[in-house]
Amino acid sequence: MEIAKVGLRSALEAREITRRQFIEFCSAMVATLALPSRYTTAVAEALEKTKRPVLVWLEFQDCAGNSESMLRSGDPPVGDFVLELFSWEYHELIMAGAGKKAEETLQRIVRDHKGEYIVVVEGAIPTADDGVYCTIGGRTALDIAREVCAHAAANIAIGACAWDGGVVSAGPNPTGAVGLQEAVPGIKVINLGGCPHNPANTAAVLVHYLTFNEMPELDQYNRPLFAYGNLIHDQCERRAHYDAGRFVEEWGDEAHRKGWCLYKVGCKGPEATYNCPTVRWNSGTSWPVKAGHGCIACASHRFWDTRSPFYDRLPSVPGFGVDVKAEEIGWIGTGVVAGAMVAQVAGNVVRDVLRARKDQDETDQTPDA
Amino acid sequence: MKKTKRETGAGHTWKQPEPGHVRLYVWEWPVRFSHWLLVFTIISLSITGYYMHAPYVVARGREAYVMGTMRFVHVVSGFVFFAALIIRGVWFFIGNRWSRWDQFVPTTKKRLEQLIAVGKYYGFMAWSPVRFIGHNPMAGAAYAVVYGMVFVEIVTGLVLFSETVHNSTLTFFVGWIPPLIDVQWLREIHFLFMFGFWMFFIHHIYTAILVSVEEQNGLMDSIFSGYKFIPEAELLEEAEASHDPELLPDSMVVDVMDEKGALR
Ligand code: HEM
Ligand code: SF4
Ligand code: SF4
Repeated sequence: MEIAKVGLRSALEAREITRRQFIEFCSAMVATLALPSRYTTAVAEALEKTKRPVLVWLEFQDCAGNSESMLRSGDPPVGDFVLELFSWEYHELIMAGAGKKAEETLQRIVRDHKGEYIVVVEGAIPTADDGVYCTIGGRTALDIAREVCAHAAANIAIGACAWDGGVVSAGPNPTGAVGLQEAVPGIKVINLGGCPHNPANTAAVLVHYLTFNEMPELDQYNRPLFAYGNLIHDQCERRAHYDAGRFVEEWGDEAHRKGWCLYKVGCKGPEATYNCPTVRWNSGTSWPVKAGHGCIACASHRFWDTRSPFYDRLPSVPGFGVDVKAEEIGWIGTGVVAGAMVAQVAGNVVRDVLRARKDQDETDQTPDA
Repeated sequence: MKKTKRETGAGHTWKQPEPGHVRLYVWEWPVRFSHWLLVFTIISLSITGYYMHAPYVVARGREAYVMGTMRFVHVVSGFVFFAALIIRGVWFFIGNRWSRWDQFVPTTKKRLEQLIAVGKYYGFMAWSPVRFIGHNPMAGAAYAVVYGMVFVEIVTGLVLFSETVHNSTLTFFVGWIPPLIDVQWLREIHFLFMFGFWMFFIHHIYTAILVSVEEQNGLMDSIFSGYKFIPEAELLEEAEASHDPELLPDSMVVDVMDEKGALR
């Protein structure tokens, strides 16, 4: 609460973040949102005037990877800004309070700031066996999510798990894990898939909210279009090699060292949408495909199930055991048909000979005919 | 029902029918045209599609544009393929008796029995093939499956195309599919069906040659010219069964019709 009084400027200064860095952050946010650069001043002014709404960060079946991604995202970390823009009151990974005191804080927020606070959810929510597979302070994740999210001003599900269940809900999904939207139907959720989420996108959504008092435009999965509207493949710097037909055949081969396209080693860029290639990671230094690994489509719907195997072009065919490729089935099937044709040709030759002999016999037996 | 051509073609350059046979116009031009469109597009779609799945050409030189070209040829062939299905689809309903939709699904008990009879021949349980002027019921059923595959291939292909072009009209027609079936599975179907076409291709050529040889009916020529050689008796049977004297060529009309033009 102290910081709110002294204002964002001095709060950032206390973190040794200069005004210049703050403006840089604002223009990065404007660029991420795909807004014209003249919005930078408007964004900076709006952020400086913000009343620092309360933010609650819930973690359920997760690996804390999204928290880590946020807090270690660069220099200065995007997290530093977001920490100061909101009154970040509950986040298990980083808060000082623990146990009963911490849970009381959450209760107080829900009670005192009803309809005003923002919830960020990280991790999937188990629904099997009444949700016993994830409990916090004796309450199930499902129970907590229902209560806390229902009274929030906005819910942001970050990372693949909170969006669609992620790795936790990948087959065979023993805990019946689902994403937030499915676990608590009826609430308004904005999904920021990715494994992990890209903190620049999450910050941009929050900044958009603080500046314009509304969420950015969403797609059919309630994901912001600015981040999920374009194919990775259409933004990839290796694309020219794809079009030319120059492909990496094996990890570490000559083509790999030359930076050719990773399509043949399973890159899912053509079936993935995300702004990963433009926003990038670690202060915009690089992204996986630039670093030499194919995209695994971490921001696509149920990517663990639909985009695996990560090093093959297409999914394995179900019902044929593990790792049987469509291609093998196709070739074997074609081979069997070709074999059957050869056998039938032979059969027909035999039949023709036998039939001629039979017809001959019949004419012989009826000389008058 | 459309009139079939009656000319027997005396004085023409083509092969004359043997005594007791007539040369009959079976496959109208849209049937043959769409057939050949399908043949050529399936070949070009397979060559380019297989490359798109597993690029097998080594690109050379700075100006190389192999994948780009393959994709372009694939999509253009894809739309021609689509056009072929539309042409043939229209002819299912306005074509002559041998190209209508009921030739492809056994709608009568008789067709069903004949289907089994044909099956016996192919299973080496009969000496000689059963003769049909148009498609035999088993071939018809196989073609129905193939047209189904053509349809699926077009729909999945259009979805994959819409993923890259963001065209609102295309998205309007096929955009509802990916949320139901993930694009990777649509790709898998699109890819696997290619082998389905190959299997059909192999078997189709086999049966075409077989029937052509066994029945001596000019089947192979018919897909180029439209004409088949049919024994007069068979044609008469068909004309009687369908009460359609129009089917018979002039050379036969005299023999089988009375003065009023009805069948005797
Ligand atoms: C006999 C018909 C066809 C065959 C055999 C065929 C075959 C294939 C194959 C093998 C692939 C590669 C699949 C993969 O591994 O990703 C492919 C991809 C594709 N096909 Fe077809 N195809 C056919 C018809 C069509 C049609 C009618 C269209 C519609 C325009 C179409 C559009 C596409 C597109 C856009 C892709 C690209 C997928 C990607 O982005 O990777 N195809 N096709
Ligand atoms: S590396 Fe992947 S995303 Fe990049 S061009 Fe190749 S297939 Fe597309
Ligand atoms: S390259 Fe693909 S899988 Fe990797 S982080 Fe980016 S979007 Fe996710």
